[in-house]
Amino acid sequence: MTGEIKLSESLREYLSKMPDLDLDLLIEAYQNPLPTSFRVNTLKMDEHEILEMLKGKGVSFKKIPWARYGYVVEDESIDLGKSLEHALGLIYIQAPISMVPVEVLDPKPGEKVLDLCAAPGSKSTQIAQLLNCLGVLVANDISFERVKALASNLQRFGVLNVIITLMDGRKFPRFAHECFDKVLVDAPCSSLGIVSKNWGIARSWNPEIAKRLSRVQRQLIVAGFDCLKPGGELVYATCTLTVEENEMVIQHLLEKRENAVLKEIDLSSLKYRHGIVEWNNMRFDEELKKTIRIMPYDNWAEGFYIARVFKGG
Amino acid sequence: MKLLSPRERKFLENRLKSLYGVEKGFSDLVLIKCGRRRIRATTKETLELASKLKGVQQIGLYVMKVSNSDISLSVEGAQLLNGDIKNNIIELDEEQVERWMKAVPIKIETTYRGRYVIGKFNRLYLGSARVSRNGLLYPQIPKWRRIPLS
Repeated sequence: MTGEIKLSESLREYLSKMPDLDLDLLIEAYQNPLPTSFRVNTLKMDEHEILEMLKGKGVSFKKIPWARYGYVVEDESIDLGKSLEHALGLIYIQAPISMVPVEVLDPKPGEKVLDLCAAPGSKSTQIAQLLNCLGVLVANDISFERVKALASNLQRFGVLNVIITLMDGRKFPRFAHECFDKVLVDAPCSSLGIVSKNWGIARSWNPEIAKRLSRVQRQLIVAGFDCLKPGGELVYATCTLTVEENEMVIQHLLEKRENAVLKEIDLSSLKYRHGIVEWNNMRFDEELKKTIRIMPYDNWAEGFYIARVFKGG
Repeated sequence: MKLLSPRERKFLENRLKSLYGVEKGFSDLVLIKCGRRRIRATTKETLELASKLKGVQQIGLYVMKVSNSDISLSVEGAQLLNGDIKNNIIELDEEQVERWMKAVPIKIETTYRGRYVIGKFNRLYLGSARVSRNGLLYPQIPKWRRIPLS
């Protein structure tokens, strides 16, 4: 994209009110393309062998410190999306910060994991990789079209222990109450963390979008939490910056479910800030400081919000 | 989706053995019939959980297509069987692999038994290609995963 990015008036006003946000830096980050990064698929081949194949083709890359099996491309001249390694499912192209939520969820072999809003499957394939064929992954999405992409990506990645469901995630607890060890709610959002991909997001944003999505996100997080076994963990993530879609959703869960407990997130290699506890004359639970906000200019990649919730007995 | 009956499974195992020399097959996995000819593989635990859920669209991996007595393995099906495949393998060079993943026909000199062969590049299996009488291989790569023709 060339030229200058335009932010809607309402977005500019909203962002200028946000604490700990540098609008000039944010606009600069929006104008830069996101780095190309990928994960190597250890379900299919040894990590070192895949990296050697890529090096043999002249691809240069470096390790992403916060993601197991994650690498960022240093020279963009080779289109990895058209490579043999991609077609064979030896690599999965995924943006670098998008790898963080699953690292925080940290699925272990043998666990039952639900990815409530799974399409197109980047995080599902990452979960499957960490499960290493032991345990079960349920990858759900509400859209038939998006489930097709999800199914293709899980097939190419070679995931055996997966169930793909087509369902409104809000209805999941009706038949899967306290069924899972881990749940990922990577909720649909207004995408203000990935404006670099599509400047139109910033041009057309208005507060109503965030409010509408916030209602859905609140229902999704409660549904996801109800699917957790006691002692299980849920990760809530969005690629947006608004308080309505992030902290207010977590606050809602804490009010609705007494046994929801926020846990610290420790990512020493990543630059981020803590969740907001004061906004528009509202005061949230101090525990929300345990959630994290990643600004697009923190790591010159996507912006994300991530919360880690434990389910007490 | 329906579980393969012991008779159907035995038939498949026999065919895999006679066509590709496969001995162990998918022995520790559950095989599911999807439609008339497609077979998917998964784990027992996955199938058990699927029986409790609603809105299930797919389970596990698509591994093969059976037509009459012929078996065409998907890329992942061939990769799952890995070192167990002994017959009807064609070793490809780098240029042929690119053609294979673009589903472009490949000219061959050798003759093969059966209607399908399995492609192999270094240690990687690439699924099946149909063998035609005019000495061409037609790789069975679905449209969605082909490398685009430049």
